Amino acid sequence: MHAAVYNSVIPKVILNTVKRSSRPVFCLCVALCFFPLLPGLVMCSLAADWSVPEQQLARKIVAVTGPGAVALTVENRSSLSKRESEIVSAGLHSALETLGLRFVKPEQAAATVAISLSENLNAYVWVAEIRLGDKVSIEMVSKPHVDGVVSTRDSVPLSIRKIPVWAQEEQVLDVLVLEENTAPTHIAVLGPEDVSLYRLQGGKWQREQALGVAHTRPWPRDLRGRLIPGKDHLLDAYLPGVICHSTNGASLTLSCQESDDPWPLVAGSAGGGVSANFPSLVASTLPAIPQVGGFFASTRNFFTGALAPGVGKFATVPKFYSAAFLPRGRYVLWLFAAVDGQIHMVDGVSDQPARLNWGSDVASLRTACGAGWQVLATSSGVPGSDSMRAYELPDRDAVPVSAALDFGATVTALWTEAKGDTAIAVTRNGETGSYEAFRVAVACNL
Amino acid sequence: MKRFAWRWLVICSLVVGVAVAGTAAAGVEARPRYGGTLRVAMHAAPASLDPADSTQADSFARRNLTFLLFETLVTAGAGGRLHPGLASSWQASSGPTLENQRWQFQLRHKVKFHDQTALTAELVAASLRVANPGWKIVTETDSVVIELEAADPELPAELALPRNAIVKRTADGKLSGTGPFHISDWQPGKKLILAASEDYWKGRPYLDVIEIEMGRSFHDQWMALELGRTDLVEVSAEQSHRVASEGRPVAASEPVELIALLFAHDAQSPVEKSLRDALALSLDRGSIRSVLLQGTGQPAGGILPDWMTGYGFVFPADADLARARHEREDVKVAPAWTIGYDPGDSISHLLAERIALNARDAGLTLQPTTAATADLRVARIPLASSDPWIALSEVAAAAGLVRPAAHGGSVEELYAAEQSILATQRIIPLVHLPAAYAASASLRDWKPSVDGSWDLANIWLEPETGIR
Repeated sequence: MHAAVYNSVIPKVILNTVKRSSRPVFCLCVALCFFPLLPGLVMCSLAADWSVPEQQLARKIVAVTGPGAVALTVENRSSLSKRESEIVSAGLHSALETLGLRFVKPEQAAATVAISLSENLNAYVWVAEIRLGDKVSIEMVSKPHVDGVVSTRDSVPLSIRKIPVWAQEEQVLDVLVLEENTAPTHIAVLGPEDVSLYRLQGGKWQREQALGVAHTRPWPRDLRGRLIPGKDHLLDAYLPGVICHSTNGASLTLSCQESDDPWPLVAGSAGGGVSANFPSLVASTLPAIPQVGGFFASTRNFFTGALAPGVGKFATVPKFYSAAFLPRGRYVLWLFAAVDGQIHMVDGVSDQPARLNWGSDVASLRTACGAGWQVLATSSGVPGSDSMRAYELPDRDAVPVSAALDFGATVTALWTEAKGDTAIAVTRNGETGSYEAFRVAVACNL
Repeated sequence: MKRFAWRWLVICSLVVGVAVAGTAAAGVEARPRYGGTLRVAMHAAPASLDPADSTQADSFARRNLTFLLFETLVTAGAGGRLHPGLASSWQASSGPTLENQRWQFQLRHKVKFHDQTALTAELVAASLRVANPGWKIVTETDSVVIELEAADPELPAELALPRNAIVKRTADGKLSGTGPFHISDWQPGKKLILAASEDYWKGRPYLDVIEIEMGRSFHDQWMALELGRTDLVEVSAEQSHRVASEGRPVAASEPVELIALLFAHDAQSPVEKSLRDALALSLDRGSIRSVLLQGTGQPAGGILPDWMTGYGFVFPADADLARARHEREDVKVAPAWTIGYDPGDSISHLLAERIALNARDAGLTLQPTTAATADLRVARIPLASSDPWIALSEVAAAAGLVRPAAHGGSVEELYAAEQSILATQRIIPLVHLPAAYAASASLRDWKPSVDGSWDLANIWLEPETGIR
């Protein structure tokens, strides 16, 4: 009896399945082939097929005018680019000619046809106003919008590069790449309700498993979460008031408990916690950074400031959104992006606050450039379009060492990856509501 | 290595410096902060918060209040796109006889009213029956079934309207909702204080408290904002020029309010039809917009705005005085009409006066009046939804006309339905106005949606108001 399902989650919110699944794949293929050219990478391009609405409108017009001589104008009132509107206009002319119309000057025409390429929020609407003697007829067709094209560029001297890893309509809190490959083929995606494992097979991402995240209380607003590779198991998931561990059994499961245990602020190789999935890290001789854990407020979007273990004599720092570290000769300088907008520089002996005009999200990157470690920090010029820049801090003065990398969306998460030389940034597009995850890397240009 | 690093840093600093300086004035991205009290002022002064109370005038303010406290089974996003609300999914019956006549809505689990009562099918059904006495509503375990006498593919969109918000009503008249805020103090028509619901199913709002002062004139609202006594105010059309000239940013929706002339009854004769045609042709909407409305809004030849349909421009909105006079001259004697307006609304008053002048140029006599029994009146109709079918249907109802049926829902059918409503000559569109607001600098992530609705659960205040 119930044939039609009108649950918008399924047919309306999600983009069509083919496009959705193929988009990350396409982006990854591009990333693989053109990694050196990534600064100019155009992420995805979707060419629209206008032939169907062109022919539909042409048929409707000719049904009114009949074959013969008409004066035709086409005006673009929509967001179509000049180039696209010219393509549509040519297509309309062609379709009308095929149906027997000839185009003449108004004084020679039996009818005038004024086509307006318009649109509403959901669709392009093409309207033809047909004047035949004293009679005016209106004909129209519509075509649903297609997703827009997003392009990004960045530039010298030290370059931050973002490599698309994943995109989906549903909320993404973090993405964990589960192997060492430059181009990921096995990833975990943390959402509010599950951890989904995907594997790239035959050029397509296949969801292998979805592991539910059990929680009893509603999540706080601006939900945050982090995936960290486990030492002797696949991964751990940290969410406000809930910590989950994957279990190695006959089949992979996720065991979640309500817990206020601290979240590791030094993940992967830097902290000495190395998963078997990262063999190069097991053999790494790089000095480990002393682990620091931060307690996350279970009903809010920030760390409480309590640390375990602490940084030197500091067991607590001001409430903060994110933390980064810069190893120095004999100590580690910690940077806490506090909720009061200041960056607190804590070296174990002193806490030096500074207003650096950084955003809420910071992360450390180990690179072969400059001093060897940089801090990535977010900032925003216009609402809904965040950017990211790399900094170094000689003498505790923040020195920008890269141009800003625009994301064209709000950065909702920024976490250093296991190897420490890349970070995962998650963005939310304010207009479409969709999420994308990028691997962020720094390249040396000098 | 160290020497190289320093040289590298110096060069980088120089190269990047220009770019940094250029963006130094840009804002700093920060995560949303919890806490604080938002102070809001509004013109409307509802005496009841019950969404189903049809005695209260419709306004954007009232709708926004409703959605702070209550929620609907289905929610409508931009362009009328529907999303699950208190219903996690829904299904329509199929088949040649029952298609879209029986609708089943599966309720979301773990949702509680503010009084901690669990959301149940029985409570949802009881709420919907109050708002829609003519519907047959039955319950099944975790779902509500609505059985209609005729097919209605737009039922889910209709359930997204504020009047269909789910309310738990107690015998002593208290209301409880499931929305992001609950009532802390309520002085009808004067003041409303709301507190954040800690266990709201979509996550606790960032704000702790919202204080809403009602019945404030637009001028008083503006003064309160200027003096730092409130954070969010409405901006009327006649204020927009001044507000802009003072450099205060105004956040506006798409044009979502229709100002139109509504006739009290159908045209009784071909003569009256000609006179209504003459009146419609005499209206100088361009001057109305540029002078009376200070450049705000868009002249409207159609009922629905262009952004909602994509075809609104095909309805002529320009005055044609020659044709108006021609229509008028075809009639020997034209009766004087009364044109009513709301005495509490200065815009309506000005419009009535201006329309009387336009009509006089065409040889018609219109007498402005505040009496309730005018021949025609200046009506301000907030469009009910960004779903064009629902919006059109509600305007038709406001004009006393039969609601159009959305059989297939295509844009061509929508155009035909709108054209047929205009052909009744009961309604003459004048202008589409946006809902506009001004806010203090401490509000973050504030922007009205395209349909003028607020999302106060997602806004937050600068840190001086306190982090909790």
